[in-house]
Amino acid sequence: MDDLIKALQLLFGQDPDLRQIIAVTLRMSLMSTSISALLGIPLGVCLGAYEFRSKRWLQRFTNTLMGLPPVVAGLAVFLLLSRSGPLGTWKLLYSVTAMVIAQVILITPIITGLTSNIISLRAPQIKETAAGMGIPHLQQMGYLIYECRSQLISTILAGFGRAIAEVGAVQIVGGNIQHKTRVMTTAIMMQTNMGHFHFAIALGIVLLCIAFAINVVVHKMDGLDSR
Amino acid sequence: MIELRNIHKRYGDRTVLDIPHVSFSESQRYALIGMNGCGKTTLLRILAGTLQPDTGECRGVLISDLGYLPQTPYAFSFSVQKNVEIALQRAPDASQCAAQALRKVGMHSLRNARGDRLSGGETQRMAFARMIARPHALLLLDEPTSAADIRGTDQIERALLDYATANNCTIILSTHSPAQALRLAQEILFLDQGKLVEQAPAEKLLKSPQHASTHAFLQHWKI
Repeated sequence: MDDLIKALQLLFGQDPDLRQIIAVTLRMSLMSTSISALLGIPLGVCLGAYEFRSKRWLQRFTNTLMGLPPVVAGLAVFLLLSRSGPLGTWKLLYSVTAMVIAQVILITPIITGLTSNIISLRAPQIKETAAGMGIPHLQQMGYLIYECRSQLISTILAGFGRAIAEVGAVQIVGGNIQHKTRVMTTAIMMQTNMGHFHFAIALGIVLLCIAFAINVVVHKMDGLDSR
Repeated sequence: MIELRNIHKRYGDRTVLDIPHVSFSESQRYALIGMNGCGKTTLLRILAGTLQPDTGECRGVLISDLGYLPQTPYAFSFSVQKNVEIALQRAPDASQCAAQALRKVGMHSLRNARGDRLSGGETQRMAFARMIARPHALLLLDEPTSAADIRGTDQIERALLDYATANNCTIILSTHSPAQALRLAQEILFLDQGKLVEQAPAEKLLKSPQHASTHAFLQHWKI
């Protein structure tokens, strides 16, 4: 109870460390989600809307990557960016950029896979109807994306949820450096290990609030679609 | 003239269409009849260019000049009016043409409703309005009244006959109702297990079918 009161005092106070951690977390999550959405949605639309030779293999590959363990992604990026790695000269290890790269590897398959599933459900009917009206191909794709808009936004938010709650990969490639790469999840882990429960609880509350806000937006989107 | 030669289509092991030759004259109305899975939809899709046959060729169809109404048309989530306007491709009088087409199928009062909130029959009437909103040389309709009630069916049929007369276009439609085929088509094609079994003027085919399978199919036709 004491820790909870301290956590609430911390939350409503002006603690610079807490604010800085939240800021880094949001910056990292927003960047990685944006990049993943820019890559994953077009890929998902192609996978869901078109028939081509290696489609099944690509779907299987995407589905496999959807379940990629974060520590494996973190390890891969670590090896890639470490001083002796192929991209070591870029000196990106233990930076927010490295954390974003790891998260993009984790989130892009999720957005691609979910987008592909959403698109494939409506694509045949929309494409056939639009083709029957003589609507050009690009415009057909535009209508297809428009009709799936709320589900696609939900997918992006699901990606954001994954990014903000992720700990394994960002710990490996970010290093949890204070004022630089420390994010909410890695900070919670560290503060819990150190016995500073009030700080961990305060961060936990922020994480929960963000998760709740995402849920509200997702449900709002679904509601808009089914109204 | 539209001509199909050596059309063959399989789904896995199952042959869904196997037609050595069939032709459709300009400005005529044709009805495809037959049991479920006999190949009516596949034939219309091949004519519309939305499905490629495994072998064979389709001549005389100008894709830019055809309208194709699929069996389950999609209703977009914008207004009914806009749903019809998109078929007009930014024509200057799109709004007027769409309103007129909706009026013909009795859907004008619902023009501001959302397309994806319509019933099955209303969706079908709206989708049919898209087809008649602008002139086409060829109209392909896959069971255009399957979800409509008797009033909706009557509205669609009247609008279709008016459209055919006004535009002098070729119409090929599929239907489960021999009575509807008789009302709408000059010629009927009977398909059975992917094969074109019989083709004849509507009344002749329904009154005196030449093939045993056509005869057997029509025995189910009772009023």
